[in-house]
Amino acid sequence: MPEKTGALVQGTLDMLILKTLALEPMHGYGIAQRIEQISQGVFSVNPGSLFPAFRRLEREAWIKAMWKPTDNNRRAKYYALTARGRKQLQSEADTWGRQSAAIARILEAC
Amino acid sequence: MAIWHRFLGGLRALMHRTRTEQDMDEELRAFLDASTERRMRAGMPEAQARRAARVEMGSVESVKEEIRGAAWETAIEALWTDVRYSVRILIKAPVFTAVVVFTLALGIGANTAIFSLIDSLLLKTLPVEKPEELAQVYESGLTNPLWEQIRDRQDVFSGAFAWGSDLFNLAQGGIVQNADGFWVSGDLFRTLGLHPAAGRLLTVDDDRRGCAALAVLSYAFWQTHDGGAASAVGSTLSLDGHPFEVIGVAPRGFYGVSVGGKFDVALPLCAAAVLDGPRTRLDRRSSWWLRAAGRVKPGIGPAQLKARLGALSPTIFEAALPQDWDPKSQDNFRKRVLKPAPMATGLSGLREEYEQPLRILMAVVGLVLLIACANIASLLMARAAARGKEMAMRQALGASRLRLMRQLIVECVLLSFAGAAFGLLLARWGDKLLAISLSTVNHQVFFDFALDGRVLAFTAAIATFTGLLFGVAPALLGTRTSLTSAIKANHGGAGGPRTRLRLWIVASQVALSLVLLVAAGLLLRTFRNLATADIGFDPDRVLLVNVNMFTAKVPPADFTGTYRRIADELRALPGVVSSARSQLTPLGDSTWNTIIHSDVPHAVVGEDDLVYFNQVDPAYFATLRTPLLAGRNFTSADSAHAPAVAVINQTLARTFFPAVNPIGHTYRAEGGGRKLDPPVEVVGVVTDAKYETVREGTLPTIFLPLSQGGDLPVESFEVRSALPPSVMVAEIQHAVAAVNREIPIEVHTLSAQVEQSLTRERVLALLSAFFGAVALLLATIGLYGTLTYLVAQRRTEFGIRMALGATSRSILQLVMRDVAMLLSVGIAAGIAMSLATTQLLGALLFGVAARDPLTMAAGGTLMAAVSLTAGLLAARRATRIDPMVALRQD
Repeated sequence: MPEKTGALVQGTLDMLILKTLALEPMHGYGIAQRIEQISQGVFSVNPGSLFPAFRRLEREAWIKAMWKPTDNNRRAKYYALTARGRKQLQSEADTWGRQSAAIARILEAC
Repeated sequence: MAIWHRFLGGLRALMHRTRTEQDMDEELRAFLDASTERRMRAGMPEAQARRAARVEMGSVESVKEEIRGAAWETAIEALWTDVRYSVRILIKAPVFTAVVVFTLALGIGANTAIFSLIDSLLLKTLPVEKPEELAQVYESGLTNPLWEQIRDRQDVFSGAFAWGSDLFNLAQGGIVQNADGFWVSGDLFRTLGLHPAAGRLLTVDDDRRGCAALAVLSYAFWQTHDGGAASAVGSTLSLDGHPFEVIGVAPRGFYGVSVGGKFDVALPLCAAAVLDGPRTRLDRRSSWWLRAAGRVKPGIGPAQLKARLGALSPTIFEAALPQDWDPKSQDNFRKRVLKPAPMATGLSGLREEYEQPLRILMAVVGLVLLIACANIASLLMARAAARGKEMAMRQALGASRLRLMRQLIVECVLLSFAGAAFGLLLARWGDKLLAISLSTVNHQVFFDFALDGRVLAFTAAIATFTGLLFGVAPALLGTRTSLTSAIKANHGGAGGPRTRLRLWIVASQVALSLVLLVAAGLLLRTFRNLATADIGFDPDRVLLVNVNMFTAKVPPADFTGTYRRIADELRALPGVVSSARSQLTPLGDSTWNTIIHSDVPHAVVGEDDLVYFNQVDPAYFATLRTPLLAGRNFTSADSAHAPAVAVINQTLARTFFPAVNPIGHTYRAEGGGRKLDPPVEVVGVVTDAKYETVREGTLPTIFLPLSQGGDLPVESFEVRSALPPSVMVAEIQHAVAAVNREIPIEVHTLSAQVEQSLTRERVLALLSAFFGAVALLLATIGLYGTLTYLVAQRRTEFGIRMALGATSRSILQLVMRDVAMLLSVGIAAGIAMSLATTQLLGALLFGVAARDPLTMAAGGTLMAAVSLTAGLLAARRATRIDPMVALRQD
């Protein structure tokens, strides 16, 4: 089922996409590949949740889309981070950092 | 900002749907291509790589659905699809739709009707500029001298105004045609910020002593009386026989500041002198015909307003002190304090009388709607069972249960909005009918029922609420289908959740209906008690003829002579049995009372013990059929020069002349300045009769002979005839005109006057009986429908039982056992709820206790009888089952 994004924690996909796009504009497949590679195959991203996430982020004006030719001269929809998206990424990363540190502390304590 | 982006993005997507879809297709294709390419680069053959990429993505359509679902506009589109689908479904079942819409129209209409009465009477603000800034100056009536003091001394209002209401006779002689009069001080229209619809409105300059006779018409009166003609401005209108010049028309929608009434003609206060002559009410210090209010200056808070008015009070009341009062009353008068009260919603004498009945009616119609909802829910559940296959099919085709439920609820909300639309029409019609039935011969009740936002919002809210109420349970149960069982089309047992819920719904309907029946029973008995109460006179075929010497400009010296000539003419009319004359009429609008001291020492004396008076001629008691119990009636010998005499009623004899024969005893009444008038001898005792209202315990009453008190400018004749009153009116009119054509007369029956004192009780009893009957009908239909369904569900079972030798009697018993159980639970709950709630009727009841066991028992019996009959009719269908047919069906 498309809802189950492997081991991806609910709500983290948006952050991962924003982080990936922070380097450079990318198309959908590229983003999926990058997330899978960097996480060394821990997270596999399903198109059924990836594309809805694009639509959502676009509506929030955190990313913007444009059609560009690909390396092998095909047309693909590229996504790029906006200024608002950069700010959002910053705040989500901060929150994430605080939360994961807290969880780690709790796990160590018990 | 984010919301704005989301909104704009959604809108763009909605407008360029094809482009959005193409973009999506292309993007997904690009993804697949990239994925395939990567696999090929890793060494996979193309066909295999493409296949693997597709497997990874899954169904392209479902991915697209996911993407669409991420945006809000899809929800709107889906909703729109649901609406269209629901409309088609409903049109395909016209009988079902009509029944539901009609039931809802009745339920919602009743709620809207009562709510808009509440809105008009209690909630609506006056249609004037910034009504919230208005404050009333004093809670009760004011005299003109008091008003002039307030007007000249106040410094808290940017504009102050006074008003009074009155009736003006438009006709010149003959039958009176009353117009609702509105006395206004000069600054009223300006302070309220009103602008004329034609001509001009009254100003401060029009309201000075000795002013010209000017009038402003209401917009509605201008339309009906003058057809809205521009020539009305500048025309002359005869009011109580005096010509008034019409200078303008008030704005449309302004009906005065009293809610529940309206005005036809507004006159400046100073014009009272034109109608009254030299002894005008403008100078009277005990004539409380005005009320006053003002627009509070900006920056003055409620506390400051109250303090300032309080500080001004001693000076104001001192300056308008009634000179002829005794010192003690004058002292009390000086201590009065002006106290502000908000009046954004206007003032109304009806509020006190109708607020509680309206609240009770609101509860009643709320219950009726609840019962109607239960019926519809029950109907929907039956339908859901019939639609089981459709639901299973749609689920099998991939619709989620949520989606199916949403569509079912959309169906219900559509139904309830259709019901609400018809209900709104019903309500407007019902409200007009209600206003008419609340009106009496002397008081026309008028409400401005122009649709306002509040009523519309109420109706919309109640429609949504009811739609959800009757829709949710059937939607929940209706979508809980399993594909296999639906397709196998099993009949199921009688104990499924659907069936059990329906039985509970019917039981609660029975309970709620019973509460309404009991309430209706109590109110009907109240009305019956009042209508059949011994009022002490016989109102049947008695006409009251009110004649006015003052308007006809008859000199006071000729009053008695003119009255005598009219009396002779009336007695000579064919069909007249007897005719009497009196100052006041029984249960009329006016009362006359004071304190008396009898020559017998007794316990009661003081202000709480007022005695009520009337002046009558010798024919009065015989004409009204009030029996004389002791002593004698008045005679022609009781002239102005003879010793003063009086006839008293039983109650007065009992309280003021205890344990003695009152005949021959005397009393002294308190006159002006609390000085005692000369003693009056009691010569007769008559049966108790009601004086002011039917509800009252009989008031102690004294009758004085008209021949000793002196005739008044306005008196009434009581004419008892052998012919129906309708025949008599024209005859009476001719008889009075034969004496003096100028005399205005008002004729109505004494019965109408008795009935008007029961208006509230009659309307309440009628409405509660109507709604009680509707509730009973709905509950019966609900019961019948549910049982019929149950019987149909158990066809196979009954068929088998019959095939095995069960008699139709035992089958009947089987079904009726369920019915009896259901009814006893419902009726017990209904009685318990009645016991808990009928106390709310409290003061509205007369001669019956709120927990009257007889009414409860009667309500329960009626409920049981009607619903057992309905149950029996439904159960008989079970006995008509042909076992062969029933068994062969599966």
